Amino acid sequence: MAGQQPTGTGTARNGRAMLAEFGQRYGILAALVLVCVGLALANEFFLTQRNMVNVLRQASINGILAIGMTFVILTRGIDLSVGSVVALAGVVSASFASTSATAAVSGAPHPTLLAIAVGLGTGILAGAVNGWLVARHKVPAFVVTLGMLSAARGLTLIYSGGRPVPGLSDGYRALGTADLFGIPMPVVLFAGVFLGAWFVLEATRFGRHVYAAGGNPHAARVSGIRVERVRMAVYVISGALAGLAGMILAARTGSALPQAGIAYELDAIAAVVIGGTSLAGGVGRVTGTLIGALLIAVVNNGLDLMGVESYYQQVIKGGLIVAAVMLDQARHRAA
Amino acid sequence: MRTILRTLTLTTALACGTAAMADVPRIGAAVYGLNAEFMQIWAAALEDHPAVREGLVNVTIFDGRYDALVQQEQFETMITQGFDAIIFVPIDIEAGAAAVQAAHDAGIPVFGSNTRVNSDLLTSYVGSDDVQSGYMQARYVLDQIGCTGGVVIIEGPIGQSAQIQRLEGNLKALAECPDVEIIAQQTANWSRAEAQTLMENWLTAHPGRIAGVIGQNDEMALGAIEAIRAAGLSVDDFAISGIDGVTDALRAVKAGDMASILQDGAAQAQGALDLAIRAVQPDYEPMSAIWEQYPDMPWNDGADAEYNVPWTPVTEENVDALLELRQ
Amino acid sequence: MNVPLLEARGLAKRFGGVAALRDGSFRLMPGTVHALCGGNGAGKSTFLSLVMGIRRRDAGTLLRRGAPVDFAGPLDALRAGISIIEQELSPVPAMSVAENIFLGREPVGRFGRVDFRAMNARAQELLDSLHFAIPARRLMMDLTVAELQLVEIAKALSYEAEVIIMDEPTSALGEAEADQLFAAIARLKEQGKGIVYVSHRLSEIFRIADHWTVFRDGAFVGTGEMRDINREALIRMIVGRPLAEEFVKENTPTSEIALELRGVSSGARVRDISFAARRGEILAIYGLMGSGRTEIFERLFGLAPDEGGEIRLFGQPQALSSPQEAIAAGLAYVTEDRKQSGLVLSADVRANLCLARLGALSAGPVMLRRREASAAARMIETFGIRTASDRLDVSGLSGGNQQKVVLGKWFLTEPRILLLDEPTRGVDVGAKREIYRVMSDFARQGGTVVMISSEIDEVLGMADRTVVLRDGRISGELDRATLSAERLVHLAA
Repeated sequence: MAGQQPTGTGTARNGRAMLAEFGQRYGILAALVLVCVGLALANEFFLTQRNMVNVLRQASINGILAIGMTFVILTRGIDLSVGSVVALAGVVSASFASTSATAAVSGAPHPTLLAIAVGLGTGILAGAVNGWLVARHKVPAFVVTLGMLSAARGLTLIYSGGRPVPGLSDGYRALGTADLFGIPMPVVLFAGVFLGAWFVLEATRFGRHVYAAGGNPHAARVSGIRVERVRMAVYVISGALAGLAGMILAARTGSALPQAGIAYELDAIAAVVIGGTSLAGGVGRVTGTLIGALLIAVVNNGLDLMGVESYYQQVIKGGLIVAAVMLDQARHRAA
Repeated sequence: MRTILRTLTLTTALACGTAAMADVPRIGAAVYGLNAEFMQIWAAALEDHPAVREGLVNVTIFDGRYDALVQQEQFETMITQGFDAIIFVPIDIEAGAAAVQAAHDAGIPVFGSNTRVNSDLLTSYVGSDDVQSGYMQARYVLDQIGCTGGVVIIEGPIGQSAQIQRLEGNLKALAECPDVEIIAQQTANWSRAEAQTLMENWLTAHPGRIAGVIGQNDEMALGAIEAIRAAGLSVDDFAISGIDGVTDALRAVKAGDMASILQDGAAQAQGALDLAIRAVQPDYEPMSAIWEQYPDMPWNDGADAEYNVPWTPVTEENVDALLELRQ
Repeated sequence: MNVPLLEARGLAKRFGGVAALRDGSFRLMPGTVHALCGGNGAGKSTFLSLVMGIRRRDAGTLLRRGAPVDFAGPLDALRAGISIIEQELSPVPAMSVAENIFLGREPVGRFGRVDFRAMNARAQELLDSLHFAIPARRLMMDLTVAELQLVEIAKALSYEAEVIIMDEPTSALGEAEADQLFAAIARLKEQGKGIVYVSHRLSEIFRIADHWTVFRDGAFVGTGEMRDINREALIRMIVGRPLAEEFVKENTPTSEIALELRGVSSGARVRDISFAARRGEILAIYGLMGSGRTEIFERLFGLAPDEGGEIRLFGQPQALSSPQEAIAAGLAYVTEDRKQSGLVLSADVRANLCLARLGALSAGPVMLRRREASAAARMIETFGIRTASDRLDVSGLSGGNQQKVVLGKWFLTEPRILLLDEPTRGVDVGAKREIYRVMSDFARQGGTVVMISSEIDEVLGMADRTVVLRDGRISGELDRATLSAERLVHLAA
């Protein structure tokens, strides 16, 4: 919506100006390509097909969370609860798919579809509570979701008794381990979520509502947009995607851990911000978030390949976030 | 579902009042955090101690929420309320010393359990030697690969006492096999998901060279197994070991995917409680079954400064019995 | 003749390849008000930013009392006695008037503690000397916009400023508050200060200014004394071509009632309001700020609660409890503040134009891109919106073009009744006329326009009938025959 279109009138421009404009428009993508080229030169395995599949798989969970986060941030909100909802949806849905006598609900393992529905439902419920408090009761999103971060984690520990839910059925585990034409299921789901979100934001009426409600809620309201419903909906979307991510995580690790997802909200927010979405709302695209999530995964993967210690990785990731935002601000000043 | 609300124990203990239980010793247990399975087992065993069940002693468990400062404050609470003894499982070997000092100054004996604290004021310590387990788990991997080839080490959070000591044991065993190369060594912070990502990337960076995986806890070893599967490789081609004996690991041992060494948290908890009661009531005789279970760890009238709960390698023979205990 | 307080000769500034200002020339004499006039894009803002040292000039000379000066920034200019009161004020809302006036240079007592007693006393003394009835201890957030401006003036004078630049100071003021401001300006003149007054409102300029200077297309056009020029001549200077008529009015009201309010109440400021507007009519609502005029529109658009009374559209009672209902019933609402509630500034022109009409531009939930593009193109064409592309951010447009985007947004909904709240605020003379043309055409084709305006000229020029509000109630209704400036002011105050 708010993309910077070329405004040149066709007069002669020198190469440097064109390069500068390219940098402004495609800064994050250029950074991703640059990092990839660097890593490909530094490590022979980086560009292998298997490693690329790994990177995508490692980007999936954070990417799915970040896409939900994009919706929320576009409306000037924030969802700090996604990490906890990942764990909650993971243990609740896993208890429906578990063959363990102690950890499962009665009659389990239930059909995989039921377990998935329960997981999504858990995420939607948590998101609906967030959305209801933010939209109807005007409680700041930061406060509401900070509360949910704590409450959902607590519910996770209560529900699971602090123990993992093991023995997941094969059907359920397929969410994390199966592949479709050689592409791992988490990547397939990530791609599906991305395409869906892209379509919703770019091509549907609801997408227009999200951008307008985030860009200027007053103007949107006067223009006949039900801003409160839009706000409610974005938290539900974020919650549902956190639920999906929680199930993928449980399926990948083989059991649902109540400690799962701690601090995942930070990486999700980082991917959104690196992708150029403004925390002030109304500006940003889900393609940016995709690139942001890939960039984080590529950097983590590359540094692992080169044997850089994870503590240094954190420092590098921190620098990357700030650099991305600086680049973005420079782009806006130039526009 | 099971619901374990340990905080409720605290509330009920306080609500029941001190008058009715005036002559029953009150013992506090400050543990670093109750989110993980191992400490769940530890705490459950403490409450299942015969002396607690028979009402001879009143036990309150404080969840330190993985924060040294929270533990410090909980010590202050226990001192104010005049607890008779404290069992301490610190988050960090260094951070707990001040808390122990404060309790000592107030005349309250402190007993260490599971995790060491850098203080000579502990009345006694019941734990398991992490150097020994590190040695045992590495030895298993090395034996499997025939003392040759490449291994990776997935470490706990750098600087934690368990990481330091398990690594010491790992390296001690590795020194016995000079032909074995350590291909990579990095932390995954005790986390299954982090270890999975790490292992995926290592498998890419070092194709065909990794024969053994030393995971300093079970969660990380389990993450490595998932990574191997995801890469389309056979778990049978790798020698993998973890430590702790969490339920998922017991299952994996049963399936033949890995080896684990059981750290008997239950024994650490009950042993510490026996010692604590003894300190309050000099004529007390230990009631826990662990003293019979581990003849290598004699009671010695509760006078030793250190009690070492032996490690139990999980084998195909004992895994079913161990799993039975977790039901 | 004495030396000018401030004189600029040939100031110039280029941005990239484009000259924003080619020849900025200006002379301000002590004890006078000097109006700086020009349409949007004439270079006024650039000129002021060069004077204040906010931007570096490329060429030209700036003289302060005859001596060349070169300011590195606004603080430098302030030290030299030049102060600017921006169009958009930036007070610290949670601090008192005195704290705002002395921000950054608070009188300090022992141990570095702020001496609040001295600060309040000095601030009160200053305000009293200016005859501003504002308590120095009052919090800024409790003041009206006009009072905030008076505080800004007091602040400027506390720096002992001799030159005070006011950029559109009345844009947020009602008539009575503007009078308060003009009285303050008169006192400043008496003290020998010089005031640079920038405004689109010609009637104000003729009321208070002594001299005029016009810029057009980035260059000085002319200067002179107010008493030597009339309104038409000044407009001709600003626009660069003769403007046949300032107002456009070709509609004739019918007898068919389109909108009728019967005893409508809402909130604290709308009490028992009754009036009717006919098809083909332009009805003005005139009242001071706080008289409840905007609140009537908010009630009509479902943004304020229904607390009694009846609203009929074309004879049918309507609940109008949400904007959706109001839009469906054929209402359109151009709000008072474009940036706050009219436009999504972060979005492009097309998105803004389509915003109120998304339902008709989509098939089910999916937007029809081509239909959006053609709808936007139609409105850009109809209203002559000057933009290189409809995918450009609306924030880059001039005030007049932004207002036309808001109008275009509402015309896409094919409204039958237009509610316009201060439709020409902050819009230059040329664009104003285009907006009047839109209103006139809409009414001529059978639409109904209800317009809130605090510009008397606009009411006189455009309204078929005028409803005057005072304190949330109707204090009078005037038709074209009985309408006069005196009566409006009399009924409103």
